[in-house]
Amino acid sequence: MTRRFSPERIGWLLAVVVAILLPLFVGEYLTSILLLIAIWSIVAISLNLIYGYTGQLSLGHSAFLGIGAYALGLIALKLHLGFWPSFFAATAISGLFGFLIGIPALKLRGPYFVLVTLGFAAIVGVIILAWVDFTGGANGLAGMPRPNPIPLPWGGQVRFDSLLNMYYFVLFFLVLIAILCDRLVHSLIGRTFIAISHDENLAESLGINTMAKKLLSFTVSAMFAGVAGALYASYNVVISPDVAHFARGMDVLACLIVGGAGTAAGPIIGTFVLTAIPEGLQIVPYLKTLINGIILLLFIIFLPAGITGGFKALALRWGDSRKSSGGRDAAP
Amino acid sequence: MPLLEVSGLTKAFGGLMAVSGLTFSVQQGELLSIIGPNGAGKTTLFNLLTGIYRPTSGIIRFDGNDITGCKPYQSVRRGIGRTFQRTTVFGWEKVLDNVIIGQSLHVRTGVWGAIVRTGAARREERRIREKARELLAFVGLSDMEQRLSGNLTEEAQKRLSIAMVLAADPKVLLLDEPTGGVNLEEIGGLIELVKKVQRSGVTICLIEHKMRMVMSISDRIIVLNYGVNIAEGTPAEVGANEEVIKAYLGARRVA
Repeated sequence: MTRRFSPERIGWLLAVVVAILLPLFVGEYLTSILLLIAIWSIVAISLNLIYGYTGQLSLGHSAFLGIGAYALGLIALKLHLGFWPSFFAATAISGLFGFLIGIPALKLRGPYFVLVTLGFAAIVGVIILAWVDFTGGANGLAGMPRPNPIPLPWGGQVRFDSLLNMYYFVLFFLVLIAILCDRLVHSLIGRTFIAISHDENLAESLGINTMAKKLLSFTVSAMFAGVAGALYASYNVVISPDVAHFARGMDVLACLIVGGAGTAAGPIIGTFVLTAIPEGLQIVPYLKTLINGIILLLFIIFLPAGITGGFKALALRWGDSRKSSGGRDAAP
Repeated sequence: MPLLEVSGLTKAFGGLMAVSGLTFSVQQGELLSIIGPNGAGKTTLFNLLTGIYRPTSGIIRFDGNDITGCKPYQSVRRGIGRTFQRTTVFGWEKVLDNVIIGQSLHVRTGVWGAIVRTGAARREERRIREKARELLAFVGLSDMEQRLSGNLTEEAQKRLSIAMVLAADPKVLLLDEPTGGVNLEEIGGLIELVKKVQRSGVTICLIEHKMRMVMSISDRIIVLNYGVNIAEGTPAEVGANEEVIKAYLGARRVA
């Protein structure tokens, strides 16, 4: 029920315009950073769906990322299916894994669910590393396909061998998934996700099949993470087991918390901030983890709702205190 | 045929019999109160009826079907609505949204409808919003629909929680202390609401401690003590029952 030109929509539109124009003015290097920000933002959005909106903290999203990346690579390289079939298959396979892991894992609540997802991530990481014949082991896979050129109606075609065009390709999926996620959580189904995140027992006592809804959210979330993995594989051309390293799951969670879990812009803002700060400071990689850890700690202590979440809570409280000024206790 | 029929219902937590061999029935349209001292097993009984606990033994029949061992969400779908002793609303959601969530079990829109925003999905959303407004009007919260429900008074939250369960269209409503934690002056209004719900055709089971209220609004009363049904009958019958007086006041006070 948002108005056509609500401030939020204008903000989103501006952000997209900036994201489209920015690489035209910065160099190749910064464009490649922006591209990675876009990919990790997709993972953060996918984690946001299951954690931010549905309240189930998954530390296993590195696994879905890895499954998406390796599925694209293996299908393209071993079955020679070309980009699009491999891409869709990778998305579906990630979703399938999410569904299958979700069935036992989502029966558990709170920390037990978190531990199962973490264990799953560790197992997938080990399998990718150890199953050398299938996955290439520590050497990884090389020769991932870029998207097929898209022919233009007026002749010529858009090719994806340039960094800039690949960036736009990834940006398109970021915008698409952000819109899909936003529509889903603002639908009547999405309200049940949010209800579960607030109080699962109350949701169930209102007749919501919480297990089915959590499974739906987790499956869609795994699919989105798989899309990010497939995009990463295609962009990078080479993938190694690093893509599925479980620390990635933590990084994504950090981005989500800093940006604001359970908000539409949070995952993107958080990923941007946590990538841009160490990048801007030009610090060595291992210090980057340290800096990000400190930023995360500061947020958890001082602004647990994150950047967007903090703004939202302020606006809500302010709006509500204005409305309530006339007759707080005036129940008829 | 009674709407709800419980026979030989038993729930043991280890060696403790929270509910033991309970048999009773609830007639269509009546207001049945369940009273008893703290720890008598009243809330456990509600948890058994709504599938939060699985009974150790015994059978629950509702509307002609055996529903023993149903999951909580399934029992709601069959028509058993329930409010909790500790008032539970989604505090970070607006009042109207709480009642919209309460209708979730009726929602037909799927993922596709949700992300494409099909005409059917929009119509359903509009219809559910309308129904939520009607329910808020019914419980008397119309002017608060945009408020954060966590900021409402205890009394208003109780009204809201009733609207949320009614959203599921229950045949029977289990109310666990609907006036608990509410100011004395506000109790009358809540009793009025409970009666209004009953008049609208919903059968009511009520757990209450306020005896004057129980005596005035109940059609029948069941008295539990240590998980056992010690008396059953009209308010007048129960009020005159020696066992009941003993359970409530202690043996010494019995004249």
